[in-house]
Amino acid sequence: MNEFLQGGLYGGGIIVAIMSSLLFVLWTERKMAARMQSRIGPTFTDPLGFLQAPADVLKLLQKEDIIPEKADRALFNNAPLLGATVAIAGAAVVPFSATIVGADLEVGVLYLLAVGALGVLPVFAAGWGSNNKFALLGAMRAIAQSVSYEVPLVLAALVPVILAGSMKLSDIVAYQSSHHWLVVWPFFLGIPAFGLFMLAMLAESNRIPFDIPEAESELVAGITTEYTGMKFGLFYMAEYLHTVIASAVASALFLGGYDGPIAPGLWWMVLKTGLLVVAIYWLRWSLLRFRSDQLMALCWRWLVPSGVVLVVGAAVWVVFAG
Amino acid sequence: MNFDFGFAIVAAVIVVSALFVVRAANLIHAVLWLGVTLLGTAALYAQLNAPFLAGVQVLTYVGGVVTLMIFGVMVTRRHDGIDVVAQTEGADRGFIFASALFVVLALVTWKSAPHVPNPAPVASSADIARALLGEYLIGFEVLSLLLLAAIVGAVVLVRRRDPEPAGEPSPAAAAVSEVNP
Repeated sequence: MNEFLQGGLYGGGIIVAIMSSLLFVLWTERKMAARMQSRIGPTFTDPLGFLQAPADVLKLLQKEDIIPEKADRALFNNAPLLGATVAIAGAAVVPFSATIVGADLEVGVLYLLAVGALGVLPVFAAGWGSNNKFALLGAMRAIAQSVSYEVPLVLAALVPVILAGSMKLSDIVAYQSSHHWLVVWPFFLGIPAFGLFMLAMLAESNRIPFDIPEAESELVAGITTEYTGMKFGLFYMAEYLHTVIASAVASALFLGGYDGPIAPGLWWMVLKTGLLVVAIYWLRWSLLRFRSDQLMALCWRWLVPSGVVLVVGAAVWVVFAG
Repeated sequence: MNFDFGFAIVAAVIVVSALFVVRAANLIHAVLWLGVTLLGTAALYAQLNAPFLAGVQVLTYVGGVVTLMIFGVMVTRRHDGIDVVAQTEGADRGFIFASALFVVLALVTWKSAPHVPNPAPVASSADIARALLGEYLIGFEVLSLLLLAAIVGAVVLVRRRDPEPAGEPSPAAAAVSEVNP
């Protein structure tokens, strides 16, 4: 078959699968948040409330598309598209099973970090293009946060790379299935690195408890202040996409990916990713928001030094015990 | 001679976006177009069997340098109450110099082209790591020392002259702890 056609079909299949999983993720979060707050959540669309997310999309599509008169139209209109594209780009290198992987790059981990670094641009384009104080303040906070938390993220991702001796995600998963999952052994490196990775990933994507860029009590809605309809919907979707893909990457790097005690395969990956997503939403609905300076202090005083210690520890472990 | 469509597309993106960088009246637009140019360069590296270089290019240039430039433009956009805009003066002279440079570079490329192996040799990231931490270790370490010196210099430049007395909580933190001990 034509390789472009094959690539398109394969990539399209993965994108469609992840997008569809978002419906379930949204439903789970709504119901979970409702139970945690002694509510029952959406019930009007159907008894389970499962059709709430499609109904929301229909609603967003009907909304008037408002563009502020003094906005920078090119940046304002393209920012949501860019944001969603960058958010889903990470899925390309994630090995969902031994055979389902978009592009098993030799530099897979580097690719993920590079795509994460790109995420700054749509945020800035949205904040600056809106020509709104709140949006710009939100964008500046988001960029400062992303740039700072990239450092511990890179350090945490280096630990599995050093232990497995490869930047290829499928190699890292293969190493874990032939040895141990990294959170099992060496757990004194694996568990802290896993925690650090999740924290930095959450902060880089501006999720609670690190969502000061859109702190609604101070900044209206941050970068999404001026956005209406499906443009807002795209930002919203990008956030959920980022959470799902970050969880999938974390399960591949630290939790053994598609490896499992019985019948390794896609369903282990789905299970692990799902559990991590639930854990993230659990945190989201339990914790309060940090202050901006607390966030920076946490990053530079605690996470970066511990990341350095972990990387050195991983190197020592490989040389003397691996 | 076969025509490489992938290269043509990437090269066109780089040239057009680079033109936008120098012609944009809005500095923010210029910086964002520069991001596109650098992304195109990364795509070029990826086409030349250098995925590691492509990844590093995106990570440091698009993720780091462009972000820093955005911050730089943001804080210098208004100078003494006057908006700073990009002005291009002497575009005709610039065009002449650019054309001359193009001719020189084209000559050099054309003369040296037969010595470049085609297709380019594939170097895995393990090969690059061995070269960096083996053969070129001293240069690599000297560079990291230089970067460290730059970081220390930056910290010294922006350090507050009258540091707050340590140990005392800031007024905001004190107010919060009063309300919610």
